[in-house]
Amino acid sequence: MEFFTLRVFRYDPTKDTEPYHQDYKLPVEKGMTVLAALFKAKEELDPTISFRYNCRAAICGSCAMRINGHATLACKEQITHLLEKYETDTITVDPIGNVKPLKDLIYDMDWLVDKLKKVKPWFIPKAPPPPDGKEYRQSPEDHAKIDYASDCILCASCMSDCNALKANEDFLGPMVHSKAYRFAADTRDGAKKERLDAVLEDLNLEWCVRCWECTTRCPKEVQPYENIIRLRIMADQEGYKTPGAIHAEIFEEDIKERGLLNEMLLPLKQEGLFGMIKRAPFGIRMFFKGKVNIADFFGGHKIKRLEEVQTIYEKAKEKEKEVTIKIPQILGVVYEDKRKSKLLKEQRENAQKEGGNQ
Amino acid sequence: MELRYAFYTGCSAKGVAPELYDSTFLVAEKLGMELIELEAATCCGAGAVQEKDEFLAHTINARNLALAEELGLDLLTICNTCTVMLRDTKFKLDNDPELKAAVNEVLAEAGLEYKGTSEVTHFLWEVIDGVGLDKLKEMVVRPLKDFNIASFYGCHIIRPPYLIGYEDPDNPKSLEMLIEALGGKPVDHEARLACCGFHSFWSAEDKVTLKLTAMDTEAAKEENADFMVTPCPLCHTQLDAMQPEAEEKIGTSIDMPVLHLPQMIGLAIGLKPKELGLHKHVIPTTEIIKRVA
Ligand code: SF4
Ligand code: SF4
Ligand code: FES
Repeated sequence: MEFFTLRVFRYDPTKDTEPYHQDYKLPVEKGMTVLAALFKAKEELDPTISFRYNCRAAICGSCAMRINGHATLACKEQITHLLEKYETDTITVDPIGNVKPLKDLIYDMDWLVDKLKKVKPWFIPKAPPPPDGKEYRQSPEDHAKIDYASDCILCASCMSDCNALKANEDFLGPMVHSKAYRFAADTRDGAKKERLDAVLEDLNLEWCVRCWECTTRCPKEVQPYENIIRLRIMADQEGYKTPGAIHAEIFEEDIKERGLLNEMLLPLKQEGLFGMIKRAPFGIRMFFKGKVNIADFFGGHKIKRLEEVQTIYEKAKEKEKEVTIKIPQILGVVYEDKRKSKLLKEQRENAQKEGGNQ
Repeated sequence: MELRYAFYTGCSAKGVAPELYDSTFLVAEKLGMELIELEAATCCGAGAVQEKDEFLAHTINARNLALAEELGLDLLTICNTCTVMLRDTKFKLDNDPELKAAVNEVLAEAGLEYKGTSEVTHFLWEVIDGVGLDKLKEMVVRPLKDFNIASFYGCHIIRPPYLIGYEDPDNPKSLEMLIEALGGKPVDHEARLACCGFHSFWSAEDKVTLKLTAMDTEAAKEENADFMVTPCPLCHTQLDAMQPEAEEKIGTSIDMPVLHLPQMIGLAIGLKPKELGLHKHVIPTTEIIKRVA
């Protein structure tokens, strides 16, 4: 029989000064999930392992943990797939990242709840209920805007691997910003402004670094980063003059005037004279390294066929008002490139063949 | 296989990273790749335009893609963010006929049309799949065997899978395979798949960006890397040109050189450090230059 090692994060603050990993040897069983493996280890080898779970069917969001470094639901991931994916015989399970572990895989949820409260994750009706006594209604088109965002099961997988949150624990995080979007974009909700104020406090919404970890980790297709994009668009439309909005304006201006971004004049346009002075050491450094093209200070290089861009620009700005861009369906979608990774594919196939021969 | 591409430079290679532009052409020529520069292409919007005027962003990127289609070639980028932004447009247009029609209605004003016939690919992938690692190995004249090399993928060449999908975002290998083909030693480190922080610079320089930059470069240093290598000029600007600010932030010196992908390949296939622009980095590459001499 084939075996694998389940390496589990262990920590009991009443006994341990430091967390450590403990290994459990288990047989590889077809269809066995990581959660099932944890149960097997707990039942047969060590009753002290602690972890959270409930539905065992990727619905409740209780069992998120980091598996070989990446957050996901333990009840969704199968051991055989993971062994193949990481080309290993060891599955390492840690609590999700960016949180405080309480005991083994169980972490402190208060912190997440406190963050959520800041955006009031509940419906605040715009108007009294319809007089016919029925529910608040909205059109399918309006619902489509929040359809994916409504599917969040609060598992916090996205919070675990978020880069902005890793850098700063005060970032509200993808789960919370998504939740804010879900209500702010709901046509029946009346607290849009209040919600935008909450997410933009200290520019929080703009701390996101567009790393796309949240969307990559989410087991439910919530697409937190897409929601953040839409929340930022909404803030711009509501007239919030954030650095992000100014940045976007500079980009648009440069695209229209020269085609490419003028990085040399960016600090001046972004932060004014003060910015230029603040960035002077950087600019001088870049100049002496031969990275600066002096012509850029005087407008600089323009692309060919710029007139096309100018025509398109005006027309697109007009047309924009009538177009709604749909949030795409992405669950399980892997981009199909016709040149797709021949070499890596071959390797994978070979590995599988070898695996099969054993 | 014919290795001809519509070459999309992006803004950085034409701006703060001239050494990337130069080294890409030099290396491509040696590897037998023909790059036809799209001199009429615009900025990809870099996520900034997408977060203000999304339709406009898709329209200008549809035009960028249409320029490659005019040449009947696939579009090749040297920037992760360009790759993901162009692919985002392509994905949304190819999966939404209404959006595609709306975009084409605008493009028609300038006599253009987006068809969806050109693929978006990155220099890294074409070196591996187009040129091939076996051929590359044969061309190595100065194996990088003395070097511990820390790969830094940068977010947008692995995530999100619905736009990238070249390899498993949880366990990518392309850079390590390439480093090995060039005779170097890939070193594993904490920040291999992390974010450089670039995209929140103007809103959260101190709160987020520089902290990430410091964590990334320190992680490579902790594993005794001689240098980091990245396929993205935005990561490069952040990790190299902004490293002094990151050092200031954490109050220690890091001093980790960061190479652009084509520069690393160039060194191994016998191009000179000077022509690859290694002297144009903020963190000195003198030690590397000495050791390859
Ligand atoms: S895209 Fe933004 S919110 Fe999502 S994980 Fe990255 S930094 Fe966090
Ligand atoms: S957005 Fe997705 S990953 Fe984040 S908490 Fe909700 S379901 Fe989990
Ligand atoms: S146990 Fe409910 S989601 Fe895994």
